[in-house]
Amino acid sequence: MTIRTARPDRVQHFRPRMHCLKKLEAMMVEMQSGVKGSEQKLNVTTIPHVITGKDIIAWITNKMKSTTEESQAFGTMLVAYGYIYPLENHKKLVMCNDTSLYRFQTPYFWPTQKWVAEDSDYAIYLAKRNIRKKGMLEPYEQAHYNHLHEWLNHKWDFIVMQATEQYKAGKERKKPDRVVFDCQERAYWIVNKPPRHTHSAMDCGPERLIDPNSDEKITFDTYRRMNLFYQQAIMRSKVKSSVSLGALVKYITTYKNHDPFLAPCLPSNPWHTDNDTYWTMNMRQVEVPTKMRVERWSFSLFELLSDLRGRDDFKIFLKKEFSGENMAFWEAAEELKWGTASSMTSKAETIFKTFLAPGAPRWINIDGRTMGLTVKGLDHPHRYVLEAAQTHVFLLMKKDTFFRYLKSPVYKEIQKKALNPEPHNFSPAQLEQNAQNRSPGIHPIILWQQDESEKAKAAIASAPVDVKAMMSKIDRK
Amino acid sequence: MTSRWRRSVDELALRGRQRGECERAQEALGRVTSCFQQLAASLGSSADGSFLRDEMDETRNLAQRICRGLSRRLLRLLSDCGPAPSGLEDRQVLDCGPAPSGVEDRQVSERLWVLFLSALETFLSDLRKACDLIGRFPLRQRYDRRALVNTGCVDGVVAVAARVASVQAPWLTLEEEPTPDLTNHITELEAMLSEMQLRVPVAFWSVEATQPAGVEACGGLEGLEGLQEVEDSLEELMEGEIVSRRPACCCLSCVG
Repeated sequence: MTIRTARPDRVQHFRPRMHCLKKLEAMMVEMQSGVKGSEQKLNVTTIPHVITGKDIIAWITNKMKSTTEESQAFGTMLVAYGYIYPLENHKKLVMCNDTSLYRFQTPYFWPTQKWVAEDSDYAIYLAKRNIRKKGMLEPYEQAHYNHLHEWLNHKWDFIVMQATEQYKAGKERKKPDRVVFDCQERAYWIVNKPPRHTHSAMDCGPERLIDPNSDEKITFDTYRRMNLFYQQAIMRSKVKSSVSLGALVKYITTYKNHDPFLAPCLPSNPWHTDNDTYWTMNMRQVEVPTKMRVERWSFSLFELLSDLRGRDDFKIFLKKEFSGENMAFWEAAEELKWGTASSMTSKAETIFKTFLAPGAPRWINIDGRTMGLTVKGLDHPHRYVLEAAQTHVFLLMKKDTFFRYLKSPVYKEIQKKALNPEPHNFSPAQLEQNAQNRSPGIHPIILWQQDESEKAKAAIASAPVDVKAMMSKIDRK
Repeated sequence: MTSRWRRSVDELALRGRQRGECERAQEALGRVTSCFQQLAASLGSSADGSFLRDEMDETRNLAQRICRGLSRRLLRLLSDCGPAPSGLEDRQVLDCGPAPSGVEDRQVSERLWVLFLSALETFLSDLRKACDLIGRFPLRQRYDRRALVNTGCVDGVVAVAARVASVQAPWLTLEEEPTPDLTNHITELEAMLSEMQLRVPVAFWSVEATQPAGVEACGGLEGLEGLQEVEDSLEELMEGEIVSRRPACCCLSCVG
């Protein structure tokens, strides 16, 4: 007796693939006469119908009139779906264009069955494997076993009984057939419950809550909104595709070495190896940044200011140059933009008094027209009232200060100091270990507290100096 | 008074015998369904043929007879005893009083119920798969054999069929009926499943396993001794196929 979920089964797990799998099946049937099989010798038994990877790929290339790389990718998909299984290295579901051996999977274990691989069947398989290996299951299998023992406890007696019976029934067959059946079953479960680092194609996304079969009623309102959308799209200014593609190419060439999924990142990509050194080394408050990070700052002022660590470095440089008011204004405008609505009027007032009023302590040098617009807008302050001034200041910094920063000793020093960590080289056992010992990371509250203390320190440092208090302190001394 | 006591003792003895029958039938059913799975796994492969399909029909006929008998007996067992003594008002109506042995009987019967229904579900899914496969590989003409998949299995279901034939269940000699069609078989089993679930309310999640996890690995189960030693060579055979080579052409952005 199985507990079934109450949500309606929209058969999401096979719907996206049904067409594809139907065509694949037809191709598998054709392949039977096309690919030459040979025999595999194992101790004293010989098992027929073993095929090599390059024969399969050659047949696919011939049949589909495609290139070898495409046929290899196609072959890998056949293995990942479970139509063909590898005999050597059974956990790696890829098709190699060499003499590695494969065999066809029996239709009983094909993925087109409209039913998802049941937990009870998996439990029976694991129990059988437990019998055969006398308790030495692989760690992921053991984890599944314990989980299923807890959840299927009410039918566990049945599972053990059935496993024993299936084990005995399997023994009734001749030895070569027994080996073949065991390989087939193992391959089926590797595709359906893949161990870590095995990429099978039977992954399906989360269940959809909306029924994709039901028709959506298009109402008057939908048409109205569609009309609006298309009218706005027509009125938008257009750019030539050559121009936009050129910009895209430029972006890709600049950033492609900095994407951890396109190029190997140092020390290692945490999503691959479950080791989060990369994240800890690139945190907000780190003393010494990594070389890649520092290189990224030189791409544009926007990158430099977006990375808070880079912003700190830039501010150190500006303090040396005594030209910090542009940066301070830019930061204050950011705070206004992203801050709470209730604090907006007070913030706007402080900004006006500090930066914009004639004779202000940190007066910024923007052109008259922008100044006039901003001051007028400050009568009724809203979130984007400083947008024009902020953009102007940003452009000033970009055209002048940024390049001076890149040539400055501050930047050169941080470039020299920057760390270049060694790439990690984990063995499969260590990868397994990493996966078990993932750290939960820093609690967000601690990060927030650190941010708040930083802000408090910055506020104290930049508060206008009280001259009278200073004088009285000096007098007292 | 004494006659009532004697009646309940007789009833208990009868129910104990019936339960024993059901347990033996459950084991037989397990044997038949696992043999059926072995046969079904060869459908559509190079070992497929009319012999295989005939054997499959025989096997499922046998399974059907066991299922029918078991379902009837289990229904009788569980509806006699009435609903579980936990939380019902009209306990005076029950024949088996609130004696502790009555509760245990009930638990044992419920366990058998759950085991039978689980076996039925597994068998049904196997039947559906088999129906689908037979539809896809009909084997009506000679050239249909070219469509069969070369899986490496050559033969070998003879011994499995013999195992099926050796199955004994308490009431098998009594009822002899012809094999139903596969689709009808499926419909009949589905009807049986839903009928049983509707007729008797059993809280199946309250049934617990009688043995701890992993006991099958120690070979503690009956009938497994003597089979374990042969396994070592087989396991070595299968392990020997695993060569830990990492072909350079296959690094699809996988690390390690």
